[in-house]
Amino acid sequence: MHHAYIDKFAYQDSPVHRLDARVKFIITVVFTAIVISLPRTSVSILFCYAIGPFAVLVLGGIPPRFAFKHILLVSPFVVVLALTGPLYDRTATIVVFGPWSWQTTLGWLRCWSILGKFVLTMLALIALVSTTRFADLLAGLHRLGVPRLLVIQLGFLYRYIFLLIDSAQHILRARAARSVGRVCFRDGFKFTAAMLGSLFVRSVDSAGRINSAMQARGFEGKWRTINRLTIRRPDYIFAAVSLCFTLGLYLFVRPVLG
Amino acid sequence: MHMANELLSVPVATGTLAIAAGGLGLICRKLRQVVTSDKLPLMGILGAFIFAAQMVNFQLPAMPGTSGHMVGAVLLAIILGPHLAAVVISSVVIVQCLIFQDGGLLALGCNVINMGLVPSYVGFFLYRIITAGRSSSIRTYIGAMVACVAGLEIGAILVPIEAALSGVLLVPFSTFLITMVGVHFLVGLVEGLITVAVLAYLQQVRPDLVLEALPGKVRLSRKAVLATLLVFTVITAAGLSLLASGMPDGLEWSYTDRPDQPEFKPLVSNESSTITAVDDLQSKYAPLPDYSVRGALAPGWTSFAGVIGSAVTMAVIWAVAFLLRKRQTAVRL
Repeated sequence: MHHAYIDKFAYQDSPVHRLDARVKFIITVVFTAIVISLPRTSVSILFCYAIGPFAVLVLGGIPPRFAFKHILLVSPFVVVLALTGPLYDRTATIVVFGPWSWQTTLGWLRCWSILGKFVLTMLALIALVSTTRFADLLAGLHRLGVPRLLVIQLGFLYRYIFLLIDSAQHILRARAARSVGRVCFRDGFKFTAAMLGSLFVRSVDSAGRINSAMQARGFEGKWRTINRLTIRRPDYIFAAVSLCFTLGLYLFVRPVLG
Repeated sequence: MHMANELLSVPVATGTLAIAAGGLGLICRKLRQVVTSDKLPLMGILGAFIFAAQMVNFQLPAMPGTSGHMVGAVLLAIILGPHLAAVVISSVVIVQCLIFQDGGLLALGCNVINMGLVPSYVGFFLYRIITAGRSSSIRTYIGAMVACVAGLEIGAILVPIEAALSGVLLVPFSTFLITMVGVHFLVGLVEGLITVAVLAYLQQVRPDLVLEALPGKVRLSRKAVLATLLVFTVITAAGLSLLASGMPDGLEWSYTDRPDQPEFKPLVSNESSTITAVDDLQSKYAPLPDYSVRGALAPGWTSFAGVIGSAVTMAVIWAVAFLLRKRQTAVRL
């Protein structure tokens, strides 16, 4: 497993990729907050909001299929949550959509609204992460006031996740190769404990080696990056357009659509 | 246990984000005096270890087809001490949100509190109280077990509380609470067993890791332990009591707020409280279709126009981008 698996699109180049990480982050937060605070039974307005992240994804050259596959992967919990709607809220209501109208319950409306909001906020998050390199995002977060210790911790974590996931996969493959058929719970449990323990020891040891290597290169607790974070005119334009979009929909279109 | 954005209202989300950010800021400030640069790689790689450990699954007994895996917060808290563990686990939760899209951006505060701060501190303190500084293995194991169950359980209890405070729960609060508590009791038991087993393995193989030898461990006074436990109790109790008064509103909300039927609420504009009360009562029990059919034609068509318009806009954006890219590649060739 490589970094490319998750954020292969973050290293592309496009107008969206060139925007400042801070601006993108703040806009994503604002967008998410506004979408979440939409009324819980209105579905049609969500389609209008979908234009925003969709446009960013398309401009950034990120295939929508990639985004939707990701959303599907993390959706089970939210789907269960949404399906409690029809179960618990059976107030009958009539939905009129253009020439069609049909009877349904408020629960179903809320179910669709929850699902729609989930897809929207996830699209926005994916649009942020897959158009911003994680290092830039971290630098931006640091500028926004996240403590340096946490930023460095996140940087290290990101650097070594895929390495350790790789070695975990090696261990898992070794177990699969050696245990034919079913292992009883006690043994399986013992194996797992030993696997985790050895993985832990291995991690601590390699942390020691990494530390010596970094000390030898003069690491003293600071990332030194070529800092390219500057807010330029495209950033202002992007911020203005997206704020107008989200707030405009909220103030003017939402009351009309209901 | 990752909360989604949809489980929260904006005030609760910002409140929890503020609490989580404040907590993490305090911890980082405290750690800055203790942690030197040579501990940073260790913290980072142990965070990555948590990710990898969550992939190592094992068969659960009596439930064929299901498998469990370690969460790891309490193990880190026991080995690293609560402050470092809190930072490491919180960073894991943040990366899960940002890179793997597991848990929403607005729910990040809740997730950091539920899965990072609470298990590390509660788990560590319970472990400390039970082992009481002595390292008999039975005490260690019981301590780790209790710490895992309690740490996960309190984090799990906070989920329905936060959701109910947001007023988004469709499920009755008690049902949700009981489900969460029940499920996470089992999860906690499994977590406790695996933590104990890993601790036993480490004590055999590398006893130096388990016994205070790991760098960066912050010692805490007994007073700090008790004070923190007290704070958590107060927060949980306050949340529960807020709910007791807040729940009717949450339920009422589902009756009164009908944005899809704009005519529903403002039938009588009399400010007298009895009249509004009667009006509320009436609107509560009045048959709904009567109200919604009357003026529903207009919103139906506007929403139709909204949806179709949005779809057309997206199609246009896609087409324009497609054409532009085609031209770009053509130019490059």
